[in-house]
Amino acid sequence: MKNKKSILEKKISRRKFVKNSVYTGLALGVFPGILTYPSDALAESFGANINWRQAEGSEITVGLIPAGYFKNLADVKSTFEDLTGVKLNIEMTPPAQIRNKAMLDFSKKTGMWATNCTDPMFYYLYEANGWVDRLDEYLENPKLTDKKWFDYEDIQASWRGTTSVKGVPYGIPFDGEATCQIYRKDIYDKAGIKPANTLDEYLSNAQKIHDPKNRLWAAAVRGMKGAGQNMYIYPSILAGYGGKWFNSSGKMTVHTPEAIGALDYYVKLQKSFAPSGVSNWNWPDLADAFGQGTLGSYIDANSTAAVINNAEKSKVVGKIGYARWPKGPSGKRVCSIWNWSFPINAALSEKDKVATWLFIQWACSKETQAATSHKFAGAYKRVGVNRNSVWKNSDFQSLMSKMGDNFVDTSIKSYNQDTDADWRPRTAKWPAIGGEMATAIQSALVGEKSSSQALIDAQSKIDKLMMG
Amino acid sequence: MNPSVKQEKSFAIMLAAPSVLVLIITTTFPILYLIWSSFQNINLAMPMNDGFAGIENYIEMFKDKQYWKSFRLTIIYTVSTVSLQLLIGLGLALLILRIPKAQWVFRLMAILPIVLAPVVVGLFWRTLMLTPDFGIVDFFTQAIGLGSHAWLSEPKLALFSVILIHTWQWTPFAFLVLLASLASLPSDLYEAAKIDRASAIKRFFYITLPLIRPAIIIIVIMRSMIALSAYAAIYAATRGGPGTATEILNLYAYRTSFLEVNFGYGSTLAVFILVVTVSVATVLYLIRKKNN
Amino acid sequence: MNKKIRDSILTLLATFILLIWILPLIWSVFVSLKSEIEVMAYPPNIFFEPTLNNFRDAISGSLSIVSELADSLIIATITTTLTLLLSIPAAYSLARLNLVGKKKLGFYVLATQMIPPMGLVIPYYLILGKFGWLDTYHGMIIVYMTFSLPFAIWLMVSFMEDIPREMEEAAFLDKASRVKTLLYIIIPQVKGGIAVTTLFTFMNAWNEFLFAVQLSGNKVRPVTIAMYNFVSVEQTMWAKLCAAALIAMIPVIIIGIIGNNHIVKGLTLGAVKGGGRK
Repeated sequence: MKNKKSILEKKISRRKFVKNSVYTGLALGVFPGILTYPSDALAESFGANINWRQAEGSEITVGLIPAGYFKNLADVKSTFEDLTGVKLNIEMTPPAQIRNKAMLDFSKKTGMWATNCTDPMFYYLYEANGWVDRLDEYLENPKLTDKKWFDYEDIQASWRGTTSVKGVPYGIPFDGEATCQIYRKDIYDKAGIKPANTLDEYLSNAQKIHDPKNRLWAAAVRGMKGAGQNMYIYPSILAGYGGKWFNSSGKMTVHTPEAIGALDYYVKLQKSFAPSGVSNWNWPDLADAFGQGTLGSYIDANSTAAVINNAEKSKVVGKIGYARWPKGPSGKRVCSIWNWSFPINAALSEKDKVATWLFIQWACSKETQAATSHKFAGAYKRVGVNRNSVWKNSDFQSLMSKMGDNFVDTSIKSYNQDTDADWRPRTAKWPAIGGEMATAIQSALVGEKSSSQALIDAQSKIDKLMMG
Repeated sequence: MNPSVKQEKSFAIMLAAPSVLVLIITTTFPILYLIWSSFQNINLAMPMNDGFAGIENYIEMFKDKQYWKSFRLTIIYTVSTVSLQLLIGLGLALLILRIPKAQWVFRLMAILPIVLAPVVVGLFWRTLMLTPDFGIVDFFTQAIGLGSHAWLSEPKLALFSVILIHTWQWTPFAFLVLLASLASLPSDLYEAAKIDRASAIKRFFYITLPLIRPAIIIIVIMRSMIALSAYAAIYAATRGGPGTATEILNLYAYRTSFLEVNFGYGSTLAVFILVVTVSVATVLYLIRKKNN
Repeated sequence: MNKKIRDSILTLLATFILLIWILPLIWSVFVSLKSEIEVMAYPPNIFFEPTLNNFRDAISGSLSIVSELADSLIIATITTTLTLLLSIPAAYSLARLNLVGKKKLGFYVLATQMIPPMGLVIPYYLILGKFGWLDTYHGMIIVYMTFSLPFAIWLMVSFMEDIPREMEEAAFLDKASRVKTLLYIIIPQVKGGIAVTTLFTFMNAWNEFLFAVQLSGNKVRPVTIAMYNFVSVEQTMWAKLCAAALIAMIPVIIIGIIGNNHIVKGLTLGAVKGGGRK
């Protein structure tokens, strides 16, 4: 029985083969150029004028954190593998440990990760140590990149700025966000208030809706200690107060009147209107509380929209509104610049580097951005796409407008107008400095020290760090 | 030498050699590397500074206020949790000992907290137990009138909370070891004491306690080492916060080595933890030897 | 007081205390049966419609922890087996034989356990990296054995010391060989201790996180890392996390249940034999 079947199958497949060969021969005869670049339908759909299969047979591992936007990328990875013939391993690593692991890999040159999702604040450190390759060489190489198709300038300008060091790109942004106000439209309407235009208005708005007895806290921001946690919000407030990280002689100064004002505001906001556990809260906690209806508003990343609009967990779908960061006393409003980007591990072999570059191009391309967002089959659609063209796409926009009132407008304006590349101090010593500031902010928040004292202590630590 | 004594000696060496060899191979390089690093300037953020630093790191450590604070916290943390584990474990063991039937149920129940991975324990306690106005521990304290508190956000409460979490997870170890030890005590000694009409308390202090001393010392040594190296649960619960209120020396070394990428100084801290631990253990070890 | 009444009161007291003690675990069982939206309800509710979806999601689908369970099983089992094979003889030697340099060796074994794990991450990363053993089973096993060996030796030493001296002397009189003495006389006496050691060695390897994350994670992925499948940067899926954590507890519980009998046997033997001096 078995043999008969296989003979038949062989016959059929042989026929198929012959048929294919004839067609291929015809095609080759008519379009000789096809031999140079794969006639793969897939490659054609990508439309890039490069040989996607030039690193065929390689195997690369990419370190990512567990997050919806990366999960979507992982879900479509077979497209990349079919396109390039490169085996792609994705290693999901807990966010608190991924940075260590990446740096261990870089510094000991073990080449375990071809690339990993990188925090933009770390590029100065990486560049100083020579751990990642200059990407301009890849971008300018016509064998590796079809510039017109890839359209590097289409990616958010401010994000590209954060992944470059002294003007040279070291990473390509994949997913990003900006912080903004997120509020309960229904509660605001009922109280007759509009989203705040200034930091003081934000406080007075909160005053009007604060009702802890009925389990409604008016406002909250991240309190958890961390360079990516409370130090993700404080710098915006600092900028609002007109503060800067470096003084006129280029020395890092964190104990300034503006800084004290900003920290005081931060503490006041949290103490007056946020639930008592807030000093340990990170953004999932904020999003959860908001989704449960216990938080009237919060200021955090626009990408939390995906979470608070998930009907599986959130009770407030359809009642959400967005607005830009309130202006500070100095008249400035500065949102966060944040993105996850991909660098190339300098310790890799040449072939693996090419494979990695192909991955990066593929992931950050218009096609993949769309495929993981509005064209994605699953319930979670990516919000933080990196390209202006995708943001302008009508399908994307109609999807995003479901996130809530003013989502698209707020996001675009924040990206284009409210960003400041020096919003956080760009230095190779960022890891330590971010940590010290985070500790200081939390000390002030929990009442361990006064704002001034916390900043003085931070200043002395930072002085030591910046020495030498 | 008596042939059988010689035989015994070589037999003893044969039995112990594999383990000792494995340990020598796997731990010598790391310790040496650690000590070497502690004398170096290894800061990934300032690669130009890398090089021999002599005892600079150690001097800096003694001047470092945060280090002293961490040290103090570590002592408080370790002493508190080990004492609590011992007391509660002993109490529970004495209690369960009296209940002959279905002891295994209690043993099983008692062991469950240890079985849960520390990283899950930290995450779990952080949100589902201790979050004000949300966690069930907080719910209960409100229900019994103790009110809601910022369990992990107030510095002193946070320290109390992480000690509580660690004790919750590890007391069962003390409980089990003490239970086994108590159960193996010869009953005729008690008979003799009862005949002598010694009271229960006297029996406990003069007979039981001295006999289970070795078990107690083992527990103290082992639990202290675990407490000193506690990482996953505290990190998941507070990350060493609020501020640095729960940043025991181990976490401070972690922050320095990994978050601030100052490996040289972080190694110094680690070496120091090692020295302290070994000294404490030496003391306890000598006490133990004196016993036997 | 009547013995029966006293026993009942004690049993009640013990049950109450232990129930409170494992309340967080009982709660996690509740949480694992709720839907995500139910988990966030306040005041926390005990009555709800239970669902097995979370367990299903933890086992099948993209968030499945099954392959990680397998990895952890391999690592923990081999670690435990090797540790027992090495530690029991070593403990016997340290506890009851005339071992050269006993005190110093004993202390060395103890001291190796005191190296703060934090300080070991980088050296181990270097060593494993040099041999190409990062992200491998044997790499993780070697690292875990470094911790489990001293621990097991010391645990077994304390159990071995509990056995009365007469045991060996009696065997010797019977002209039994040293090896036979160890295998057929001593080891059965410490079955309870072996059970406890097995349990804790397995558990320490099973629940380890720091080294698992830094030294493996791709081809070899212990289950402690898998917990983060449910903890993304945007949100924690508590119900699924609890389901996964409970599933991850099962192997250890099984070992505990199997070993429990031996613990009981060992203890009964000890109590019946009685006698012996310290």
